[in-house]
Amino acid sequence: MSRVLSRLRANKVAMGAGAYLITVVFIGVFAPLLAPHDEQLAARFQDILLPPSGEYLLGTDHVGRDLLSRVLFGARYALVAGVEAVAVALAIGVPLGMYIGYHRGWVDRVVMRLVETLASVPAIVMAMAIIAALGPGLTTAMLAIGLVFSMMVTRLTRAEVLAAREELYVDGALAAGAAERRVLWRHILPNVAPSLIVQATLLFAQAVLAEAALSFLGIGAASDQASWGRMLRDAQLGIDRTIWPAIPPGVALFLTVVAFNVFGDGIRDAFAREARGGRLGVGAVRPAVPATSLAATLGGVPAAPPRAEGEPREVLAVRGLSVAFPVPGRSEPVRVVDGVDLDIARGEVVALVGESGSGKSLTALSVLGLVPDPGAATAASIRIAGRELIGLAFDDLRRVRGTEVGVVFQEPQAALDPTVPVGRQVAEALRVHLGVSRQAARERVIELFADVGIPHPIARLGAYPHQFSGGMAQRVMLALALACDPQLLIADEPTTALDVTVQGQVLDVIRELGARRDLAVLLITHDLGVVADMADRVAVMYAGQVVESGTLDEVFARPRHPYTEGLIAAIPRNQARSGELATIPGVVPAPWDRPAHCHFADRCAYAEAACTSGPVELRHDRAGAVRCVRAGGLQLVGVRPSVRPAERGAVAVGGGRR
Amino acid sequence: MTRLVIGRLLAAVPVVLLVATLVFFLAQLGTTDPAGVMLGVDATPAALAAKRAELGIDRPVVVQYADWLGDAVRGDLGTNWFNGESVTRELASRLPVTLAMAFGGLLVATVAGAGLGVFAALRAGRWQDRVITVVASLGIALPSFWVALLLAYYVGVRWRWLPAVWPSGGPGSVTGWIEALVLPCLALGCAAAAAIARQTRSSVIGVLQRDYVRAALARGFTVRRVVTHHVLRNAAIPVVTLIGFQASALIGGSLFVEFIFNVPGLGSYGVDAILRGNVPAVLGFVMVTALAVVLVNIALDLSYAVLNPKVRPA
Repeated sequence: MSRVLSRLRANKVAMGAGAYLITVVFIGVFAPLLAPHDEQLAARFQDILLPPSGEYLLGTDHVGRDLLSRVLFGARYALVAGVEAVAVALAIGVPLGMYIGYHRGWVDRVVMRLVETLASVPAIVMAMAIIAALGPGLTTAMLAIGLVFSMMVTRLTRAEVLAAREELYVDGALAAGAAERRVLWRHILPNVAPSLIVQATLLFAQAVLAEAALSFLGIGAASDQASWGRMLRDAQLGIDRTIWPAIPPGVALFLTVVAFNVFGDGIRDAFAREARGGRLGVGAVRPAVPATSLAATLGGVPAAPPRAEGEPREVLAVRGLSVAFPVPGRSEPVRVVDGVDLDIARGEVVALVGESGSGKSLTALSVLGLVPDPGAATAASIRIAGRELIGLAFDDLRRVRGTEVGVVFQEPQAALDPTVPVGRQVAEALRVHLGVSRQAARERVIELFADVGIPHPIARLGAYPHQFSGGMAQRVMLALALACDPQLLIADEPTTALDVTVQGQVLDVIRELGARRDLAVLLITHDLGVVADMADRVAVMYAGQVVESGTLDEVFARPRHPYTEGLIAAIPRNQARSGELATIPGVVPAPWDRPAHCHFADRCAYAEAACTSGPVELRHDRAGAVRCVRAGGLQLVGVRPSVRPAERGAVAVGGGRR
Repeated sequence: MTRLVIGRLLAAVPVVLLVATLVFFLAQLGTTDPAGVMLGVDATPAALAAKRAELGIDRPVVVQYADWLGDAVRGDLGTNWFNGESVTRELASRLPVTLAMAFGGLLVATVAGAGLGVFAALRAGRWQDRVITVVASLGIALPSFWVALLLAYYVGVRWRWLPAVWPSGGPGSVTGWIEALVLPCLALGCAAAAAIARQTRSSVIGVLQRDYVRAALARGFTVRRVVTHHVLRNAAIPVVTLIGFQASALIGGSLFVEFIFNVPGLGSYGVDAILRGNVPAVLGFVMVTALAVVLVNIALDLSYAVLNPKVRPA
């Protein structure tokens, strides 16, 4: 609760609104002392519709009453009306909503049916109908408004109770033998309270408005009560001559409603910090300052094994890619990805492996120039099919994204537009980038669907994403990724969100199509089983850096970095003999807690003094690359990747972008 | 789709009847004697009794209710106690004005609100967004009757650009109608536009962060294409729900706006009926209002089904 209050205090706008409301309450209470003139009395008959002057600071109305005094008194009527309406609404709505939400059954159905029926009449009309029965007057009017509002409170309370009921702690309390009444008041109400407090504040604003509205119509405050609505009604009578008498009460009403709204929003934000939305969250990669990054990478690159052909077979070549994010409370942006180099040749599958937070997904997005806002990516060079992407204009980069690269994301259902049939989504890519006709696009989509193994492709063209299983949706994503015949396929945790049973099928499709089309595949995963199954080469990332890379066989059989050894040891399959699952002690340090020296040193069983003396460079040799002070001097345990773990999916190192 | 429409329409009938029933019995709580109001204080008891018999309010409430309900189902909402006119006919003659006004107000609100909301969302965090957000937060607090007063005075009385009151005898021409409707529609649409702008902004911002937007960008589409083809439709779904609420609030707000601009619509009819305890007219007014809200909600449900394939009947 104190954290809620301190968050509220930090919200200057809400605090300003709160200060204004306190002033209004003060004015309402002490109106008789503050008002320079009587609420009612027309001072002199000739003082009608006077402009503001020394005697009448805000002028006078159509019968010569002092507007300032009446506006001050108006605060009193507004507050009394608001308190009455909200009190009635809460007194009826909260117990009723709690009862029907907790007990459900036929009472709930009947009440909700009634509430929903009454909601089909505008609140003000309903209030007027009640006033027609009970007679006009401020008290009756606000009773009527309170009754109408109690419907909303009932609905809200019920919904919140239903949600709270589902929570385990309620079941727990019941199982522990707590009385039902106690459960309702001690366990459910506190959870319902935040949204009720917010709702009450917002209803207060609505009640003040409704009071003014009904008084304006002449069925709320009586003619001798200086309510703001009544004042506006009086102002209307003189509208042929001047609008002035409508300004002070109108502004007072408007500001008060704004203040309640703002304060209510502030309370809501304090209770539940809403995620603040960013812009269309992408940015391009900027060139890195060449002096550092280039020099660091010129020493050597983790190249694919030499090939016979003279022409470069590299489809993707990344040099010195870094991504930094601003972190609240820090002056410098924090580097999340730090100087990553990556090469993938035609027909080759490279796996980027690491725990969540290691920066592997960010690396992939940055390659496409889709750095999530507000991150900033820099690189010395990113080449796709020999073309330098750094410095490309958005539209040129766009063409590369569309035609040279295909991407498969982790959750296929989330990565497909839910409102567009899948056939049209795939065709869209074809029509935009290749400019083919509608008919040709349709035929191509059918072919693609057949290629990725979607049964009855023609029948499935018009289906929506939610009508597909996860595995089938991922095949649609694959069809989309491959639609424009890319050279590079980026698969970001392509099977993590899928059932274990279909993971293998989707991987088979990727492997088969990758081989048939001679694709360069960047496979991002935390699943070493998938790596063992798919990859030709492996790059292991830890805390934003590549710590080891090499061929699959080299890295698995003879890991050279202690972190790689830990990952391999953590594969359940490899623990059969000892009977205990190995884990790497500790957690990946947060990006802003990464030491300047070896990032892994604090968790490393082999760490020695040299490990913490300074930054460690990635050292390249014929077998690959490793970032370890003690590399070469350690005897680390690997596994023969030929004895691949069959139980894919169970073989995880924990993580993935979820 | 047709089945969905028919189903929703059928479901609307009991809603409207239930509303009318509640209001009917609510009206019975009233303590004023309509015969006394009509005949004045010096009417003889015999004359009062005769008047009550004429109005049919001397019968048991249940009989009155059954009678009224039977007629109402057939479209006969009874007789106006004060002038002897058919309530159905009176309402029918006033409905077009209010419908035109409410529709115009909703149009203003939706176009302005959605446009500003999308614009703000695409510039989230920049000054354009801040300005729109602040204006919208203030706008939702604007009482429609105050806006109406200001518009009537400045645009109507002071600058004389547009009529401040409804032309007596009704607007004769199409331009006359448009001129007479502009100010009421603006007054009605203001607060709704602000609310729709807020919802649209947060909805678009939410959609922009979804994976499928990133995926569409990764596919190399232009930002404009991603927004028009993938963002707007998804973002529209919660906005449509809000427009439903706003339509109801707008119909309520039309009462005041009609009052200020002297529009001979349903609202002024209802206010007058309520002030004078004219029960048949009140009942008719509430029923027509409820019917309008229910119909708007059905229309919105249908557009919801068009927008969101997940709720579409298979």
